[in-house]
Amino acid sequence: MNDAAVASDAPALALENIVAGIGPLTILDGVTLELRRQEVVAVLGANGAGKTTLLRTIAGLLPPRSGRINLFGEPIEGRPAHLITRAGIGHVPSGRELFPRLSVADHFELGGRLSPPARRSELRARILAMFPALGQRLAQRAGTLSGGEQQMLAIARALMTDPRILLLDEPSTGLAPKIVLSVFQTFPMLREQGVSVLVAEQSLTLGLSAADRAYVIDQGRIVLSGDARDLATDHRVVDTYLGR
Amino acid sequence: MLLLQILVNGVLVGGLYVLIAQSLNLIFGVMGVVNLAHGSFIVLAGLFTYWFTSATGLNPLLVLPLAFVVLGLIGAGLQPLLVEPLMKFGRKAELLSLMVTFGLSYVLLELALQLWGSDFVSVPYLQSSWSLGGLEFSKAFAVSGAFAAAVSAALYFWLNYTDSGKCLLAASQSSTGAICCGIDVRRVRLIAFGLGVGLAAAAGVLVIIVMPLAPQTSDDLTLLAFVIIALGGLGNYGGVAIAAILLGIAQSLSAFFLGGNAEYVLPYVLLILVMVARPERFRPA
Amino acid sequence: MEGATQPASKGGPIRDPFPGGADGSARARRLRGAAAALVLLALFVAVPLISRGYLLQFATDILTAVVLAYGWNLISGFTGYLSFGQVSFFGLGAYATALMVMRAHVPWYFAAPLSGLVGAAVALVLGPIMLRLRGILFALGMLGLARILEVVFNNWHYAGGSVGLSLPAELTPVAVYVGMGLLALAGFGISAFFVRSGFGLDVMSLNEDEEAAAALGVPTTRVKVIAFMLSALLPAIAGGLVAWNRSYIDPTSGFDPTVDLQTVVAVMFGGIGTLWGPFLGAAALMIVGEEFLVYFPNLELALYGIVVIATVLAFPGGLVGLANRLGLLRRPIVLSPKSLTAAPPEPRPREYTGPVLEVRDLTVRFGGLTALDHVSLSVRSGETLCIIGANGAGKTTLFNAITGSVKPTSGEILYLGEPISRVPTYLRAQRGMARSFQIPRLLPSLTVWENVVLASRHGRQSHRAAEHAAWVLETIGLAQMWRDPASRLTPGYQRQLEFARVLALSPELVLLDEVMAGMTRDEQEAVRSVIRRLPEFGVAAVACVEHVIAAVADLCDRMVVLDFGRKIAEDTPEKVLKDPAVVRAYLGEPL
Repeated sequence: MNDAAVASDAPALALENIVAGIGPLTILDGVTLELRRQEVVAVLGANGAGKTTLLRTIAGLLPPRSGRINLFGEPIEGRPAHLITRAGIGHVPSGRELFPRLSVADHFELGGRLSPPARRSELRARILAMFPALGQRLAQRAGTLSGGEQQMLAIARALMTDPRILLLDEPSTGLAPKIVLSVFQTFPMLREQGVSVLVAEQSLTLGLSAADRAYVIDQGRIVLSGDARDLATDHRVVDTYLGR
Repeated sequence: MLLLQILVNGVLVGGLYVLIAQSLNLIFGVMGVVNLAHGSFIVLAGLFTYWFTSATGLNPLLVLPLAFVVLGLIGAGLQPLLVEPLMKFGRKAELLSLMVTFGLSYVLLELALQLWGSDFVSVPYLQSSWSLGGLEFSKAFAVSGAFAAAVSAALYFWLNYTDSGKCLLAASQSSTGAICCGIDVRRVRLIAFGLGVGLAAAAGVLVIIVMPLAPQTSDDLTLLAFVIIALGGLGNYGGVAIAAILLGIAQSLSAFFLGGNAEYVLPYVLLILVMVARPERFRPA
Repeated sequence: MEGATQPASKGGPIRDPFPGGADGSARARRLRGAAAALVLLALFVAVPLISRGYLLQFATDILTAVVLAYGWNLISGFTGYLSFGQVSFFGLGAYATALMVMRAHVPWYFAAPLSGLVGAAVALVLGPIMLRLRGILFALGMLGLARILEVVFNNWHYAGGSVGLSLPAELTPVAVYVGMGLLALAGFGISAFFVRSGFGLDVMSLNEDEEAAAALGVPTTRVKVIAFMLSALLPAIAGGLVAWNRSYIDPTSGFDPTVDLQTVVAVMFGGIGTLWGPFLGAAALMIVGEEFLVYFPNLELALYGIVVIATVLAFPGGLVGLANRLGLLRRPIVLSPKSLTAAPPEPRPREYTGPVLEVRDLTVRFGGLTALDHVSLSVRSGETLCIIGANGAGKTTLFNAITGSVKPTSGEILYLGEPISRVPTYLRAQRGMARSFQIPRLLPSLTVWENVVLASRHGRQSHRAAEHAAWVLETIGLAQMWRDPASRLTPGYQRQLEFARVLALSPELVLLDEVMAGMTRDEQEAVRSVIRRLPEFGVAAVACVEHVIAAVADLCDRMVVLDFGRKIAEDTPEKVLKDPAVVRAYLGEPL
């Protein structure tokens, strides 16, 4: 972490005109957005709009073709993904990507390996308090957990990397409403702890109700943005989203 | 009694097989690469041990750490040149790496032939056997098996109880997930390959103490390792260990009851039986 | 998709909807081919006239290498199943010939082809077992086979054990040379068949994406086994001829793994999966190898190993790949539509009057997860059914169960009144069940045309496959890009191609999986107009899974809503979309 670059006014994350794609396909076509400190931002959009690609590009899994990504003022575009994790961006990927034959405790350990032992214990205690269900299953293999528990573990693992920014890719997928509720209830908690959250969501109402601000992405471009409460009553959001 | 003897022999051989198979399994689990040059590394180490003991008259087990380190480093050096460039091809990487390691196996075969010729050689170490309660334990087999078990146990311990080992397990189960933990997956692949080759070398040193090797046996060893992995479960360390020991016992039994070349053919027959009886195990992922 | 809003062609000559690929280049290609053939023929005839000794033997060896290379290329190149044990068939053929001659006194002109049949028979037996495996397992299984055979023949006294058998010198070296030459020609011919025919297209498609090929009606297992049998035939007959040539056969020379090595290297070097690759590679390697061995004797294996490594890492396309970059030796487009008359599909009588698709009490469980929970629905003739639900609700699993890529845990699926749970996916496609994939699974290295004609070959207009494919492309509006490899299309066009393939099957039931995802408003409109016209194309019923509800709400007659694997609503779109439970489930629970 480069303290010199932690300029007091630099946003947590700033994307400028990001173009990214796979092979001949262009999926992100000039995306500009911002995640300010201590805020929860939702990226909404229909399937195929580019939400997952956006998060993967920020996390470094997909190098952008052009454009800039600044983390607290420091450029990180093109950096290897594991170094971006070390720089403070935690990623909860779509599909969770857990280690099915490793235990819950192992996941905590692996997530926390970048931190010194004292900090690690502190994080662990705090995260287990957020997800008590995991605390009861520490020795259980990740592959045998339920969908909701797996999602919680994926978030816990990302939080163990002590991130300043947390990226979540459609965390509500396949989860029962009660579980989704408990997952999304952690976002304000994280915000208080100084972690900025960027969540990509397919579920419109859910995304807007959990976030401070939101962006709507369509065909690889940001088409709408604003405060969550304003967008919740903006009919254009639903129109874009439902393809009207 | 005789049956017990056969079983004991089988377990001892199985111990060796565990090492031969796990070293390939390591590479496969992490990268999805089947190293067709696996047997060649085993043979190279074995033949080097033969040369070493003939030239110096020292205990062949001294070669073990040397072979492990030297060949491990060679493996780690070859990985970024030959294997890593193929990782970007996604699904095709599996088959392309088969080709590349296929080529490598022949380069190594030629090397072995040039250095040591094509004769079968073995190291006459601990020729006698212990008698224990009516059972005969061949000393060479016992020592070799014990060392193999020790190395396999060390591998198991490293994988499951150390940070670096767990990083490797993590990377083999989900490379994206590992990246999300800040693990440098490229480096893990490098280490896995180097380690796999180093362990193959260790296996080679232990094998030549108990059975003769020649450059042309390298393919058989690769196939043996592969059959065990296929039977035990690709990437599944526990399953492979069990399969290795069971295969050792099965071979020991078949050698006694069927004699001759039965034990040589047994692994393939077992593989084909499993392929026919349980094809779901081998369906494309 | 401009074509969709124009009236469909009524047949008759069309003003070249398929531009490019003019006759000029085809003629030049044919002239070049004829010239090459003449040169090779001249060389072939010249050799035995010049020499009866070393050169003849060397030429025979080159031809042998060419035959083996063509054989290997059939299974490993075109079909994509790397085999490291084709020498098994070589040895089997050699032994079969020797045994037939020595023990059964079969005359030589029967022995050689019969040996070929022995090889093919073994492939027929092993094929269905081994070709269902992952690529690596097949490769190693074949390697194991070669080793097993060596051991078996080593111990088989009837076949001479480790000493082997010797044959009388009945065939002159020239006869063997000519025989091998004819065999090489056969290898070339079979490969040309693979490259130009519909069968070859099937092979190439399953090489690219087996699941997608099956969804288009390609009988994958059958195709693979036939390719495997042909790949066994060539080395088996070659083995017989070589046994004659050497006048003996023994286990070591019959199952020599170096033979496999040379074959693999030759084809990789020449260009795997191409028509000319095996010939160029085998010839080049034999000639270069000879020279190399003069200066570096005993380093043959290392040479081959290095060539393989270098080829894979530096130029995986081999010599032919390099030639392609210069515009030479490019693969011709299969069943080209030039000078073709596109025509709309022939109407088919419809006998069955019940629901086209019936799903009864379907449950699908993956381990602990219940993806579908006792879902029942039906799609009637003439109806469009929309299935909506949040991500993870089970929509795609439903489709996967209907098409057969996922096995239901319990429940029944009836298509045109008949249960289809035992019917393999490709057969369902052939019977008129066509499905589009959520993420287009096009066959990237095949052209747009080939992607479509592949489907039409197996669909319900298969007797006029090319004409139907041409008509589909024109109607959808992709005719202009018929020659482009599918991988070069933009995402919008790729989705249209996915659609075109579905139509090319001339289906009764069309299953569209999130076909609107990621499309622009214009593209959606074009897709909508095609969906409206599907009955014109002979489609009886449409079921579409959709996320972008508004795009399909007015197209569908009924709507089904899935939520966590259960059906929670089924009614007309107006009623369903007003149901508060549905709105909650779909748009998500507010906190």
